[in-house]
Amino acid sequence: MGRGQRFGTALSAFVAFVIGIITALSLLLGDNPALFGNQPGSDQLAGLLAVPADVLLRLVVIVLALSIVIGIANLLYVHVGRLSRGKLTSAVVLVSFGFTIYWYVARQGDASLLEAVQVPIESALAALLALSLLHGGSRVLSKRADIWGLLFVAVAVVVLLASLPLAELAPVQAWRDWLMRVPVGAGARALLLGIALGTVVTGLRALLGQDRSVRG
Amino acid sequence: MTENTITLVSFVLTLMVFSYLLGDAPLIGNLYRVAVYIFVGMTAAFTLIVSYEGLILPYLQDIQDQSSAWTTLGWRADIYIFFTALLFALLLLLKPFKPLAWLTNSAFAVVIVVGAAVGVVGALNGTVFPLLHAAVALPEDLSADFGALVDTLLIFVGTMTALYTFHYQARAGADGAEEESRIGRGFRHIGKVFLVTTLGAIYASTLLTSLTILTERIGFLFQFGA
Repeated sequence: MGRGQRFGTALSAFVAFVIGIITALSLLLGDNPALFGNQPGSDQLAGLLAVPADVLLRLVVIVLALSIVIGIANLLYVHVGRLSRGKLTSAVVLVSFGFTIYWYVARQGDASLLEAVQVPIESALAALLALSLLHGGSRVLSKRADIWGLLFVAVAVVVLLASLPLAELAPVQAWRDWLMRVPVGAGARALLLGIALGTVVTGLRALLGQDRSVRG
Repeated sequence: MTENTITLVSFVLTLMVFSYLLGDAPLIGNLYRVAVYIFVGMTAAFTLIVSYEGLILPYLQDIQDQSSAWTTLGWRADIYIFFTALLFALLLLLKPFKPLAWLTNSAFAVVIVVGAAVGVVGALNGTVFPLLHAAVALPEDLSADFGALVDTLLIFVGTMTALYTFHYQARAGADGAEEESRIGRGFRHIGKVFLVTTLGAIYASTLLTSLTILTERIGFLFQFGA
């Protein structure tokens, strides 16, 4: 890497750091007059502080929309390349893409193609998931026959049994309700908190310029 | 498209996806792949349509309308924002040119840090604070419902020990091997009970959902066949 490139990378990391801090502060302090007490002018101050986040978010949304277009152009470019190497299945992607665009433009926004093609494929793929899940569940019992594997399968069986509309299973249903409210509620909260804390740490790494994607 | 055509196309595509169950048999094995490729092409097309009609076109119309503005800075600022975004998008195209790749990375860096700032503030305000508050919230009348108090305590203990499970800390023992404290191991085991219970329940719920869809699809195939 040349000196000019190194300078460019350092400069972009610094600019990114400043922009990140400004956005975070603007999101935290903007549009929240209560933070500044009931003093005259607090509304204007809160509104003013929200402007940087407004501008930057709008900018990023437009960049993301345009990058979706670039991404789709890249997908088509890759499949044209594959087709030229004799991979005929890529022709299916290109024809399907072209036909959908043609249909939508020619029929002025008619989305019946979505109902006829996309919905059945999505539903069938989701239906296949049931078989994959069953296969995975049976592997848990055969490969990991320890206390944790048994607990996992026992909870799954209780939840599945409780979903049956049988009066004889009322105690199981009561037990399922308690399971969902207490242990599952606690575990789900911990998972969500873990994800949120991970997001905060990764976000702070990016804001402080420690992330590789920001350093360039 | 008529109702009959929609049903016929749905029927054929459902069979094509279900051909996956027959494995990699000659000809039949390709039907699943073709259905997935149709899905990819169509999804790409609809994504393009939605991002153009839902984002790019309204923004293009907005910057031509002097009476409306995105921010309090006014209409002229909208034009600057739009063209700066356009410039950033053009910079993304420079990625293949190695000497200019830092320009692409700079544009990416701005997108990433703004996303990171939104993520940090959103995670703190939307998840961390409300969930911590809910985890330690006690019932209003402790004497009236002892069961509710026990449940609240269990939720608190479960949340904290399950969170502890994500963290690993050990020290070097006398023989140099890593050694975890007994209390730490105990917390980890309790937390694991809550996590495995949660994953089992999530697994069962997902299985129920996909079984419902499978039943609906099989019902549809039989209905069409009849």
